[in-house]
Amino acid sequence: MSDMTPQTVAPAAGVPGRTDAAGSSSARPLVEITDLRMFFPITQGILISRHVGDVRAVDGVSLSIQKGETIGLVGESGCGKSTVGRTILRLYRPTGGRIVFDGQDITTAGGASLRSVRRRMQMIFQDPYASLNPRMTAAGIVSEPLEIHGVGVKSERQQRVRDLLATVGLDPSYGDRFPHEFSGGQRQRIGVARALALHPDLIVADEPISALDVSIQAQIINLLERLQGEFGLTYLFIAHDLSVVRHISDRIAVMYLGRIVETANSRALYERPLHPYAVALLSAVPIPDPAVEGRRRRIILTGDVPSPSDPPPGCHFHTRCWLRERLGNPDRCVAEDPALRPLSSGHQVACHFAEEVDGSAEQVQVTGRSPGAGGVAAAAGPAATAPYAPAGPPPRPRDRG
Amino acid sequence: MSLLSIRDLVVRFRTHDGTVFAVNGVSFDLDEGETLGLVGESGCGKSVTNLALMRLLPLPAGHIDGGKVIFNGEDLLTLDESDMRDLRGKEIAMIFQDPMTSLNPVLTVQEQMVETIQAHRRVSKSEARARTLELLGMVGIPQPEARLKNFPHQFSGGMRQRVMIAMALALEPKLLIADEPTTALDVTIQAQVLELLSRLAAEHGTAVILITHDLGVVAGMTQRINVMYAGYVVEAATTKDLFARPRHPYTVGLLHSIPRLDAQPGEPLIPIEGAPPDLRFAPLGCPFAPRCAWRVDRCWKEMPSLEPIDPSYEVVTTGPQATHRAACWNPPTSGEVVAARPLRPGFEPAAPPAQVGS
Repeated sequence: MSDMTPQTVAPAAGVPGRTDAAGSSSARPLVEITDLRMFFPITQGILISRHVGDVRAVDGVSLSIQKGETIGLVGESGCGKSTVGRTILRLYRPTGGRIVFDGQDITTAGGASLRSVRRRMQMIFQDPYASLNPRMTAAGIVSEPLEIHGVGVKSERQQRVRDLLATVGLDPSYGDRFPHEFSGGQRQRIGVARALALHPDLIVADEPISALDVSIQAQIINLLERLQGEFGLTYLFIAHDLSVVRHISDRIAVMYLGRIVETANSRALYERPLHPYAVALLSAVPIPDPAVEGRRRRIILTGDVPSPSDPPPGCHFHTRCWLRERLGNPDRCVAEDPALRPLSSGHQVACHFAEEVDGSAEQVQVTGRSPGAGGVAAAAGPAATAPYAPAGPPPRPRDRG
Repeated sequence: MSLLSIRDLVVRFRTHDGTVFAVNGVSFDLDEGETLGLVGESGCGKSVTNLALMRLLPLPAGHIDGGKVIFNGEDLLTLDESDMRDLRGKEIAMIFQDPMTSLNPVLTVQEQMVETIQAHRRVSKSEARARTLELLGMVGIPQPEARLKNFPHQFSGGMRQRVMIAMALALEPKLLIADEPTTALDVTIQAQVLELLSRLAAEHGTAVILITHDLGVVAGMTQRINVMYAGYVVEAATTKDLFARPRHPYTVGLLHSIPRLDAQPGEPLIPIEGAPPDLRFAPLGCPFAPRCAWRVDRCWKEMPSLEPIDPSYEVVTTGPQATHRAACWNPPTSGEVVAARPLRPGFEPAAPPAQVGS
């Protein structure tokens, strides 16, 4: 990943001009959303539709994105992470809150002013089959944003398309081909080329690799990282796969039922998760190493995610929270919305009892790295002799006698 | 003797685009109570192998062009259709990725489960209903009594998959085939379902074939793994051996190309270049050769068979002592496994034969 390392995002102690609560530095953020809400109405009736409720897809989200960084937005399906991405791009008109892009309030922008901002933000979609027009050639698809925004004359556009295809690792002569002639990974490269066409500042990548084969995913991740370095891009990377998000992101925001429950730089989140949901989410991710898997204990959350049309009162997570149960089901979780509060530099958590998570057996289990044994030490690279054979207890996953 | 023994299974699809070479000679064994992972990408033949053994290939395109599937001493490929129907569900049950398409949307859960039980067992409706209730409780459906009359769409994804598991285990099959059972589920729900699946399989002594593309899932769930690529098993080993000493370049590539939650930050991913082959062309040589950094001339011409990684090993196909086998002419050394590239001085991957000739 470019020159942007987690260290440059996490402030060194004593760096002036940094306000922890907002998680922003003195530099103006590229995107700043404040208390963003996006409700989708539920209506009843055929001829006269009555408004009977709302799906509260995004319910008070604040987030700032610095230029050049990658923010990972994780959560389970229905948590509102895609809606946040789409609302930032103003594909929806938000129900409430504010979206500021590079100093300009675009919450209610429309027409020409919105179009000029949209040039600077692009999207990469999950499904490279559905997101490319099957009747257009690859060159036509990549050139379309240039045509819409009236960039250059035809010959210039053609040259730009050839350059873009080469940039994303496709043979420029493939421009005449149609999407069905490409493999999934190649199609996603076309989608990336299209997103790059207008030299955007921000790219919202919504599950850009989850529809791809395992052996292809790393190609696209590496491509996105290389392009970020080359063009100074800012990414909002939306995904459900925590391993991928951790790999690519400088900072991560964990969402649950329309709200951000924890934000931290990616190292801190994985080494010291402080929200009970984040701990459970991390514990649920399977690790491709039988030795590690044999040692880990998962926190099995009971039940399903409640409906966003009728979220539980107070903390949205209280119905499934392992910590609340441990603490004897305090009323505060039901009565009071926990606000996102800073617990350490750049690390914010929305939990009344986050201090109880720190140092708990569950947190240690999830980050559990008994020194000398385990995947982390072994995965350190060439120094280790056998990266897939960490020392430790015999790794039979289960003993069947 | 093994519970299941597949020998040289060949499956092709005849389509108007030509023949698709889906499975090109797959052999493996499975003991009672064992959990075997079949790992590979879409199109590697992992699902088709299992559809073929259930004799559920889509017709008329799908053909079994050779091989044997010995289950409990009987060759399933020679059974007549009514015997086969009797066996499905009772002896071998299947769980699919998307429970919504495998449950009947117009029947209540009770109706379809009672139907399944009564199709194979001579029990009264009330007995079947009682069993249904017991099963739904066993898979952790809250208030099973109240949910009996619900339709599949009234359940969440995770709950639907629990219903599928209950139905699959209703007749206490000896073998359960789980085809990407958690791919459509969120990660916290996946953890619930996998935990349930492994607990129930252990309690009932059910053998499980777990088909997945997720190496993380098989690492925690299985005792043995077959890695498949383009219709071949390219590596077979115990789960422990496979992760400790991967031997086939494809397995090595997969392990290096997925980000691990417990990796050091900043560690680069090493992708496998290229894309899986088009299965409409008859296999010639090793299908992985075009993407392989270790390929030698022979790889372009001849597919290696699955052989023990140390020729002195006796071949054991099942159980915790199963022999580690790989199908590779030029396997990476342990140092090269770590580096994910050949380290021998002056080694260049062999050029394709066309260029060699010119």
